[in-house]
Amino acid sequence: MSSEPANANPTILNLSDLPTRKATTSKPKNTLASATPAYLYDPFAAVPDLDFSGDSEEDDETPEPIDSQEIFDLVATMCDPEHPITLGELAVVNLDHIWITDDDNGLTKTVRLEFTPTITHCHLATVIGLGLVVRLQQSLPPKYRIDVRCREGTHTTDAQLNKQLADKERVLSALENETLMGLVGKMIETCK
Amino acid sequence: MKLTQLASIAAHPDRVWQVAPHPTLPFLATASADKSSKIISLLNFNTLTTLDGGHKRTVRSVAWKPNTEDEPVLATGSFDYNAGIWRQFEDEATEKKDWQFLVILEGHESEMKRVAWSAGGSFLATCSRDKSVWVWEEMDDDNFETVAVLQDHTQDVKCVAWHPEDVLLASGSYDNNIMLYKEGSDDWVCVKVLEGHESTVWSLEFEPLKSPKYSEERGSRLVSCSDDFTVKIWTRTEQTGLGSGGGQLPSILRGSQPKEEWECTATLPKAHSRSVYSVSWSKVTGRIVSCGGDGKIVVYEEAEDNEWKIVAEVGLAHGAYEINCVAWSTRYDKDKRGENDEIIISSCDDGKVNFWVLDEE
Repeated sequence: MSSEPANANPTILNLSDLPTRKATTSKPKNTLASATPAYLYDPFAAVPDLDFSGDSEEDDETPEPIDSQEIFDLVATMCDPEHPITLGELAVVNLDHIWITDDDNGLTKTVRLEFTPTITHCHLATVIGLGLVVRLQQSLPPKYRIDVRCREGTHTTDAQLNKQLADKERVLSALENETLMGLVGKMIETCK
Repeated sequence: MKLTQLASIAAHPDRVWQVAPHPTLPFLATASADKSSKIISLLNFNTLTTLDGGHKRTVRSVAWKPNTEDEPVLATGSFDYNAGIWRQFEDEATEKKDWQFLVILEGHESEMKRVAWSAGGSFLATCSRDKSVWVWEEMDDDNFETVAVLQDHTQDVKCVAWHPEDVLLASGSYDNNIMLYKEGSDDWVCVKVLEGHESTVWSLEFEPLKSPKYSEERGSRLVSCSDDFTVKIWTRTEQTGLGSGGGQLPSILRGSQPKEEWECTATLPKAHSRSVYSVSWSKVTGRIVSCGGDGKIVVYEEAEDNEWKIVAEVGLAHGAYEINCVAWSTRYDKDKRGENDEIIISSCDDGKVNFWVLDEE
């Protein structure tokens, strides 16, 4: 394997274009309202159905559940393993590709995050996936089941990669691997 | 029926991957990510001993050697690639019982995933992410030799299980297949591949001979659970060759390579919404219990031949945590109801071990 970066010339998004929650005291519960819609920076993203009607006074109860913007914020500032650029800027992680669903049991929730490697043969896709799992596992309470997957069709071996990322035993065993954890540690270092 | 929690103990500060009740003694062994195993009393659920210092990484699997009541022997399998053999001994001077780390079995080239003793205790099987299954034979006390390195799987081998009577070994893998192995005329060979699961096979167990539903006429059965969220039953339809023990075969077949024919005869009612990590088959009632990443423990009963129904289910059995292992065990605590009373033991990601009783509602 060469020491050249797999993708020497990645597309980089402007930081100010990344979705963020405005620093307001009253937190809007509809993240789409505060986030820059994905279609503004991703020409292939579907235009979301922006529906602001109706549900404005439904849920005032506290505490507010973790939403996809918060998940995005946790991972967007992580650094790419081979570029000094964040996963948010590289559009490896996208707000539109994060879903949080309530499980049937009334307690646990499933976070699904689909990431997009910068190029389809990126040999570091496994490390990126693992880094995302570690970051979310360390940041979220145990009631969150974390499903990190490579977005379908964005990597030559995405099915293979996803089976590995779904395998708890392999992920946990990788976390005992010092070399891998060194790489993952560097990715997380840049997080605020 | 209803599953009720009998006790819950914080056994380890980290994930407990497996729990193994001793076949005849009131001992439970645990395998934990904290690199240790514990021996827990099933009389009062107190921890008796911590077996540490033997492994450098997660202890993934534990198995009790059968027929060693006087000096219990435990095998441990670890992510440090090795298996360990531990034995309880009595210190002659103090008359105190202690555990000794006797042997380290080295050879696998990556993380060990499961260890299992054959019914008679003469063979130990180990499997690993290196895609191989090893069979070790204890030649004399504490002297183990590798008698087979089976490399039929194309991926990470997750589990191994021995037949309760025949010298027949099963393994389940990340390649979605189950393989059966026997000792041939000069070597161990894969005699059958069971295809049917659509994802990783996490655990396997043969039907105990003592199960009231066991039928010699029907043949042996095997239960498997998978990342495809299902639990399947496989039934032997034919066997020939060494180690079969069947006398009904025409003599012309004897001495040829052993053969096994098995087919999938049931898929248990779907109950899990995430990976099913473990299954256990009761020798007292013939019921099967399963658990998984969805935090559920589910008990199934065979109503008619190969027709299974769910008789009990507990969600969030370990709160928010995933459940890695379930096992039926003889009940030994002070409230046991007769010699045949049983409990279910489960273990999870935050280090807790829970004990359950199954009651008529």
